[in-house]
Amino acid sequence: MSTSIVPLQKSNLGLKIIQWGTILAILAYVPIILTDRAIFGIRLSNMQLLNLGLTQINLMLIAMLGALSLNFLTGSAGLISIGHAAFYAVGAMTGAVVGTQLGAPFVLVLLAAAITGALVGVLAGLPSLRVRGLYFVLSTMAVHYIVVFVFSEYQYKFFDVVGVPFNEAQIAGFAFSTPIRWYFFLIATVMAVYFGFKHILNTREGRAMMAMRDQELAATSAGIDVRILRLKAFALSSAVASVAGVLYAYYLTNVTAEFFNIQFAIQFIAMIIIGGMGSLGGSLIGAAIWLLLPSIITGFASQAGVTTGIVQRMLVDNKPQLVQLIFGLLVIILLIFAPGGISGLIKQVRLRWAALWGRS
Amino acid sequence: MNHVLNIEHLSVSYARKGLALEDIHLQVPKGKIVALLGANGAGKTTMIRAISGLLSLHHGQITQGQIHFDGQLINSVPAHRLVRQGMAQVPEGRLIFKQLSVLDNLLVGAAILPRAQVADRLEAVYHLFPRLLERKTQSAGWLSGGEQQMLALGRALIAKPQLLLVDELSLGLAPLIVEAIYKQLVVVGETLGTSMLIVEQNARIALEFADTAYILDRGRIAFNGTADEVKNSDLIKDSYLGTRQTQGTTS
Repeated sequence: MSTSIVPLQKSNLGLKIIQWGTILAILAYVPIILTDRAIFGIRLSNMQLLNLGLTQINLMLIAMLGALSLNFLTGSAGLISIGHAAFYAVGAMTGAVVGTQLGAPFVLVLLAAAITGALVGVLAGLPSLRVRGLYFVLSTMAVHYIVVFVFSEYQYKFFDVVGVPFNEAQIAGFAFSTPIRWYFFLIATVMAVYFGFKHILNTREGRAMMAMRDQELAATSAGIDVRILRLKAFALSSAVASVAGVLYAYYLTNVTAEFFNIQFAIQFIAMIIIGGMGSLGGSLIGAAIWLLLPSIITGFASQAGVTTGIVQRMLVDNKPQLVQLIFGLLVIILLIFAPGGISGLIKQVRLRWAALWGRS
Repeated sequence: MNHVLNIEHLSVSYARKGLALEDIHLQVPKGKIVALLGANGAGKTTMIRAISGLLSLHHGQITQGQIHFDGQLINSVPAHRLVRQGMAQVPEGRLIFKQLSVLDNLLVGAAILPRAQVADRLEAVYHLFPRLLERKTQSAGWLSGGEQQMLALGRALIAKPQLLLVDELSLGLAPLIVEAIYKQLVVVGETLGTSMLIVEQNARIALEFADTAYILDRGRIAFNGTADEVKNSDLIKDSYLGTRQTQGTTS
């Protein structure tokens, strides 16, 4: 319907197919490069591969789901939440009950995680009907502590300090036994979620959500029931986060309640700030930077360790601090110079480029 | 029923303390433009909130009286449902969706229409305010004040409302633009039969285009009549409009 009213840029179908074909081909080749440590038969050094392995990529893909769902909630619906780790925990716990304890197949586990995630999400969203702004943020923090408390009680009652074990995930006999198998499943999931959110933002409800974010009062006077819409946004966002949580747990094969601390929640906020609030593509960029940069920095630091200058020694000795320092600086720099995050920056550059060439 | 809006004995208070409005009677006849005038703090915005169902958001409540819209009692109908019944509102300060494009702003307003009508109504709004068509793909936050007011009006009018409430239409806008907007509103009234209740501090311009006018003072209706009657009443000139000695506007 929207295409008839919104004349998009004239899309060249052939070009689009080539574009997407290339993107998919690269995405399909990446895990092979990272597993073989070689590209087209040419061996690559660890540094040439930026010190990255497929496991990091997979964890990044899972984090992308978290970042996408938080950006949908915060960037598009305007609801700031620092309880996003809680929904990961809800997913992991659902996985533990339905998968580990009841032994249900993986597909059912995913479904169960999505449903419980949505339910807990609605509960967590209920305070948003009464309180706003900072008070609401605090209520999401309360949700976080409650969920983590329940998870840890559960963990100590049925398992022990070591954590909750998870079975090998498998769908219709296809076992996710290697990182490369996980990779293809995860990339498909990320794509599905990305395009799903993108589609929703283009519908009436999606537009209403963004209107609510910009001007709640005016949205109400445009006929939008903001209370219902808030709960819907919460339900969808937390369902996705919960699925991300169960994938995370299955990927790691063992999680404890301590994994899902408040820092875990805040990292998603950092991802969407770095990537760009309200931009789905930005969520992907933010998650990629957040998950891959530490490993890249560590790689360079250990490379530097070969020589023994003072600076190099310092780099090697303070790797974790260095990573945090760089992230801190990155967030501050972005907040000052590009409040729209990296995706906002790209947009600006594009606009300027278009202006320069007289196109719009 | 020839009154789209009929208010009787309306009293409103905020947080149960004192009365912001007291025993108000006000009618908006079908297809007419009614101006609601008054000084700061007279209760104009409270009136709009009471009618549009937004009082509860501001901890206010109707303590007495009835508001009938299109023959139905709407004292406790929530705001978003009133919109579906045909009441549209341009809130004070316009409150456009700044991060959305002009087109998306209009589409949010059109969301209560059947999909088949959206394209036609969009066309009609662009016809009314051609400036919006030029700026269609721009972020609404980049519009000038006048364009933002046009957008807010377009967003409200796109769903073909029976009654349009406008709070502070001329606030912060250049006189020429205000006049152009009023002229378009008269056109809307004639073509769509939309009735309007317009809150104004700029009494002169409002009285030029309105059919009837009410003057609020400290929560009560101090005077009402046709626009001409209001214009020519010395009492009104002195106490509320302040137009007798100076020729400047009263904002």
